[in-house]
Amino acid sequence: MKALGYGIYLQWKMDIRSRSLLITCYLVPLLFFLMMGSVFTSIMPESQETLMASMTVMGVSMGAYIGLPPSIAEIYGTDIKKMYMANHIPEYFAVLSLFLSAFIHLMMMSGLIYILSPLLFDATCPIHPVLYFVMLILFVLVSLSIACILGLAVHNQAKLTMVSQIIFLPSIILSGIMFPVSLLPSFLETIGKLCPATWGYLLLIEQPIQLSNVYILCMILIVALVICYALLRSIRSSFRHLP
Amino acid sequence: MMDTIMHVSHLKKKYQTLEVLKDVSFDVKKGEIFGILGMNGAGKTTILECLEGFLKYDEGQIEIHGQIGIQLQSSALPAYMKVKEAMKLFSKWKHAQLDEDIVKALGIQEIADQTYRELSTGQQRRLHLALALMGHPDLLFLDEPTAGLDVAGRRALHENIIQCQKQGMTIVLTSHDMNEVESLCDRIGILRQGKMAFIGTVEELAKQLGRYYYIKVNSQEGEKVYTTQHIQQTLMQICQDYQKQNLDILDMTVNRGTLEQHFLEVARRNEI
Repeated sequence: MKALGYGIYLQWKMDIRSRSLLITCYLVPLLFFLMMGSVFTSIMPESQETLMASMTVMGVSMGAYIGLPPSIAEIYGTDIKKMYMANHIPEYFAVLSLFLSAFIHLMMMSGLIYILSPLLFDATCPIHPVLYFVMLILFVLVSLSIACILGLAVHNQAKLTMVSQIIFLPSIILSGIMFPVSLLPSFLETIGKLCPATWGYLLLIEQPIQLSNVYILCMILIVALVICYALLRSIRSSFRHLP
Repeated sequence: MMDTIMHVSHLKKKYQTLEVLKDVSFDVKKGEIFGILGMNGAGKTTILECLEGFLKYDEGQIEIHGQIGIQLQSSALPAYMKVKEAMKLFSKWKHAQLDEDIVKALGIQEIADQTYRELSTGQQRRLHLALALMGHPDLLFLDEPTAGLDVAGRRALHENIIQCQKQGMTIVLTSHDMNEVESLCDRIGILRQGKMAFIGTVEELAKQLGRYYYIKVNSQEGEKVYTTQHIQQTLMQICQDYQKQNLDILDMTVNRGTLEQHFLEVARRNEI
């Protein structure tokens, strides 16, 4: 447990050192937030009601789908995995430490948006902040677990960039964070429902919260975790460890 | 009498239809340095990966008595992990510390604050060796330990390997560098076409091949190497030949053959 704790702390430090996760988890989402906040709220004052939720969903999706998978593939697609296995480090360690470290980064980024939105753009704050953050945690966990599948399944960095974009772009365009989904053709609206961002966004803006949306995200989370487990098992089974 | 730390019997491994290991058997004795030699594609890395547990083999048995440490031929760490952080992380997972004298000998303290991406190839190899040595394994596997190192780095790593043996470790290594194997290994195994063509000491290999002499002659025409079992006759014959051709012998050396020469002889022959 101490080893795992140190590993997560170390991963968190390396993420800051490497700058790539820093860019995808903080710099780009926050710059986007500042830019969209000033544009949206000036041309559409009603967007103040959804600004916090939409920018959080965008930031989380970017950090998870664009930021995390390359870091996972850097370990599981290279000799680092073998080095870890040769030195008795369990196969789940790298993905778990990256997952938890990214979770901390994304919660910090979301916290910044939560604080800055009302201060800078007079955005509406959630009526139940605790519930808002509980739903946010669920959404971040779902997004990160899908990002883990990408990183564990696709080891080629070029292919991974393409696959990440295929997941990320519909999450932004079809989830309703940029414009209402009712404006989309029905088939695009249906595709949008496959994105966790759609359900996450609804959970962050809806009052009261629809439990069915929570169930959908929970189901996606369970399925994603089962797939991650299966992928890790297949990695494990390729090594026959001596006693 | 030395005990056996590793026993390998009738090991077989196929990659689809390609049979890489065909019935390989050998023992490694406690405290020795055992070198596995072979041409490219002979199955050195395959056999080592089977022994280390990275590869499933099809048939046979491997018995290892004790803890193992592994230094892989190609291995890496996250680019932004510092050396001291890697040491701490690995020691926590292995529940073991690295002896202070090994830390000093490998020069880990001097590179402790550098990230992995800042290390030279030699420094990376030293770090990999340090991590493999953590927990004082009984048996250490080294796959091409000095590949890509300069002369100084190679010499330093040789000293580290000998130091490990002095501390009671058994070492199994593969290498392309015959001088390295000759100077480090107590016994060698030569893999040829998926089988152990020879197991024993370098002296035993020379004896088994026959009492060969290697004569190197330098003249105005360049260098020529002669192989013979009858030194006197051949030397006289060489002198006569050079005299007939009006060539001056500038330099001549006679030796009983290096490991490289013996190895090539084994690789060339079908049976020894």
